[in-house]
Amino acid sequence: MRSIFPVLTVVAAILAFWYVACVPMNIHAALTNAERGGAVVTPEGAAARRDMGAMGLALSNTAQWGDTWAQAKPRLPAPHQVAVELWETTVQKKITSKRSLVFHGWITLSATLLGFAIGSVAGILLAVGIVHSRAMDMSVMPWAIASQTIPILAIAPMIIVVLNSIGMQGLLPKAIISAYLSFFPVVVGMVKGLRSPDQMQIDQMRTWNASRGQTFWRLRLPSSVPFLFASLKIGIAASLVGAIVGELPTGAIRGLGARLLTGSYYGQTIQIWSALFATAILAAALVAIVSMLERGTLLRMGFRR
Amino acid sequence: MGLVIAAIVLWALLWVLNVRLANGPAAHRPAVRLGIPVIFGLTLLIMWELIVHGLDVPQVILPAPSSIAARIATSLPILWQDFIQTFVKGALSGYVIGCAAAFAVAIIADRSDFLRRGLLPVGSFIAALPIVGTAPILVMWYGFDWQSKAAVVVVMVFFPMLVNITAGLQETTQMQRDQMKTWAAGYWSGLWKMRLPAAMPFIFNGLKISSTLALIGAIVAEFFGSPIVGMGFRISTSVGQLALDMVWAEIVVAAISGSLFYGIVALIERQVTFWHPSQRH
Amino acid sequence: MKHILTGAATALALALGGPALAESHGDNSVTLQLKWVTQAQFGGYYVAQDKGFYEEEGLDVEILPGGPDIAPAQVLAGGGADVIVDWLPSALSAREKGLPLVNIAQPFKTSGLMLTCWKDSGITGPEDFRGRTIGVWFFGNEYPFLSWMSQAEIPTDGGDDGITVLKQGFNVDPLIQRQAECISTMTYNEFGQVLDAGVTEEELLTFKYEDQGVATQEDGLYVLEENLEDEAFRAKMVKFVRASMKGWKYAEENPEEAAEIVLDNDETGAQTEHHQIRMMKEVAKLTAGSTGALDEADYQRTVDTLLAGGSDPVITKVPEGAWTSVITDEALN
Repeated sequence: MRSIFPVLTVVAAILAFWYVACVPMNIHAALTNAERGGAVVTPEGAAARRDMGAMGLALSNTAQWGDTWAQAKPRLPAPHQVAVELWETTVQKKITSKRSLVFHGWITLSATLLGFAIGSVAGILLAVGIVHSRAMDMSVMPWAIASQTIPILAIAPMIIVVLNSIGMQGLLPKAIISAYLSFFPVVVGMVKGLRSPDQMQIDQMRTWNASRGQTFWRLRLPSSVPFLFASLKIGIAASLVGAIVGELPTGAIRGLGARLLTGSYYGQTIQIWSALFATAILAAALVAIVSMLERGTLLRMGFRR
Repeated sequence: MGLVIAAIVLWALLWVLNVRLANGPAAHRPAVRLGIPVIFGLTLLIMWELIVHGLDVPQVILPAPSSIAARIATSLPILWQDFIQTFVKGALSGYVIGCAAAFAVAIIADRSDFLRRGLLPVGSFIAALPIVGTAPILVMWYGFDWQSKAAVVVVMVFFPMLVNITAGLQETTQMQRDQMKTWAAGYWSGLWKMRLPAAMPFIFNGLKISSTLALIGAIVAEFFGSPIVGMGFRISTSVGQLALDMVWAEIVVAAISGSLFYGIVALIERQVTFWHPSQRH
Repeated sequence: MKHILTGAATALALALGGPALAESHGDNSVTLQLKWVTQAQFGGYYVAQDKGFYEEEGLDVEILPGGPDIAPAQVLAGGGADVIVDWLPSALSAREKGLPLVNIAQPFKTSGLMLTCWKDSGITGPEDFRGRTIGVWFFGNEYPFLSWMSQAEIPTDGGDDGITVLKQGFNVDPLIQRQAECISTMTYNEFGQVLDAGVTEEELLTFKYEDQGVATQEDGLYVLEENLEDEAFRAKMVKFVRASMKGWKYAEENPEEAAEIVLDNDETGAQTEHHQIRMMKEVAKLTAGSTGALDEADYQRTVDTLLAGGSDPVITKVPEGAWTSVITDEALN
């Protein structure tokens, strides 16, 4: 709770800076519009203004500042424009409407959660394999790292097409891309976590004559929980990005990714920004849910008091 | 189907070989440590080759590794140009700027508890903005050349770095800090001599995560407008031209350069944080 | 663990073998892959579906929208579609790369591609492009531009004497923000967006590929050559082309209604009525004068344009069997 005031201060500072930044960012278009409307601006002619600094233009044409916060397709939309668009597309539209961000958010969320589930389970299984089999550890781990250097985001469209060609359609291809992005943090975190019990604890289990399985279930797995949750937080954010990217090539049909994309086809900057913020809000909410689960679980397991 | 069965048999054989090697007496020799992942990678490649031929997968869906290798061999100059444009100009410059900026902000946040409480939640919100949304905006602002790609990379690496540096600077205990005070060390010398070295494992963790993010960010950003050179440009146009071998050639370059980048950061880490328990083998 | 991995490999292998098993031409379903997102550019197909023209032929048609990173030819090769909408240059290029695409119908008679430039940049003709920055679409749409420039002998590798080419995104920002002196636009889409941004026609100069004599055939219907050997598939395509052309002619006569139908089919909710109606009217100008049959003279001109591509031609040899009139002959009489 002590963080509320500092956060509000930072947000206020950002908003103030944002409003100021709108002036130079949008001044070129504002002047061109004003000139078409018959106003006198200095210097005349868009070509003459093209290479001039935006700051200088803004200072010599203070009369046109108002327009920089009210354009239909600004380079940088003003905060209130984004807020109004968000409000209109979330609260005022029926959630079944194609123009509702809630509707698109739900589409994206379903792919995200499925991908996150696939990715987490795969990550945990791989980590268990790596911890228990030296051959897996030595052969798979370097490739798991290398797999993350493949620009999956860049080839996502192609992957969707390939998966479609083998009869996978709808939610699953998107979920696979989102799983690919979320499995890696889970593998890394789980391997760390399963190896976190120190030698003394493992020896203690041996003196009790515990089998490998018992050591795993009663010592390694519980010790790995804090690490797992830390990775899940990264993983769920990565899943969301994966689901959004997976939406881009599906013909931009539905979802927040499709909104972002169609926004950029038609230069609808306000629409892009509102979809961006909707995504960030969704991501923040997902991470918050994982954090709550984490707190509850760790309390119950006695990691925290 | 014969080739597919051959692929699966081969998989089983090489896996047995790897298990033998890993559990054998020579497992700690450097040659074996390097050999095992190489054998595993080769297994995957040979299986890929056999399955593609065995099932007659069309070239425009998935080319065979042999044709990808042939494409790499014949297009080295193009691949090199693309690498310079995307990796050196876009990803590296963005990586350096982003890490430096994160470091500066982390120091400021470290000096003021108020700012730290304010910045981190807002920062995590901004970090959640997906790259596919920010990239077109930054291209609109910074033009088509590498500058906009560097800007995307800065946005991508800034936050993971900030979180890790901030966490690292919290690493020392009160007793250690009091000890520095008794030696009359000011803020900066305390930072320089004790807290930064202690933060190094965290900082390198951030640097490693960011190294893979940087290249991917630069490549994806090129999808939203670029000059006619660059790895992202080549991938997207080659898909359109159905030159799938070229697409995969660029992916191979991306994977190799990304892994090397990660490896170099990890090597430096080993030199710098040799004292940390996680580095003991 | 080993069993799991080998099991996964087997499953993957079987899955990759899918395309061979997935396709059966015996039924009456047709999947059409569009070249771009749902918009009035494809009005005829949506009208034919909405008005029941496909149903009358006994067809069950599914229309898949495209997008910036979808190569229709790749979808076709992967068995994800029976028939695709594509431009002739990229289809011929794919054919030369070993993917045997065949044009079965050509609903668009004229090309809608053009360059749109700022008049105040001082450009008066193609010669003035030297030393300028021009936005070009890639992803198979770059062929017409590159052919035109190599015919005009203007290099496209930057410098004072050549053109600095930008890979343009799919909007008109580079022109509006003056990051480029000229950008690629379609008469029916992006040009309207430039005007929507408040730019007047007097401020602009346009170079239509049609007027420059370098027009290429856009938005034809393509199928895989091997499928054409199948009689049931041919019969299906005859019905499909017939119904689609009926849809196109209806859209030409009733652009407002057609635009409404397109809007109903737009899943993103991002399209606006004003823009779609304008697009439908512009597209009608391009489909006018086409019965659906490919005009051999037009085809020949496209091939000549592409072959003339100087040092780096789009296609290197005269294509054989890249189009057929078999379907349209039967569909249109």
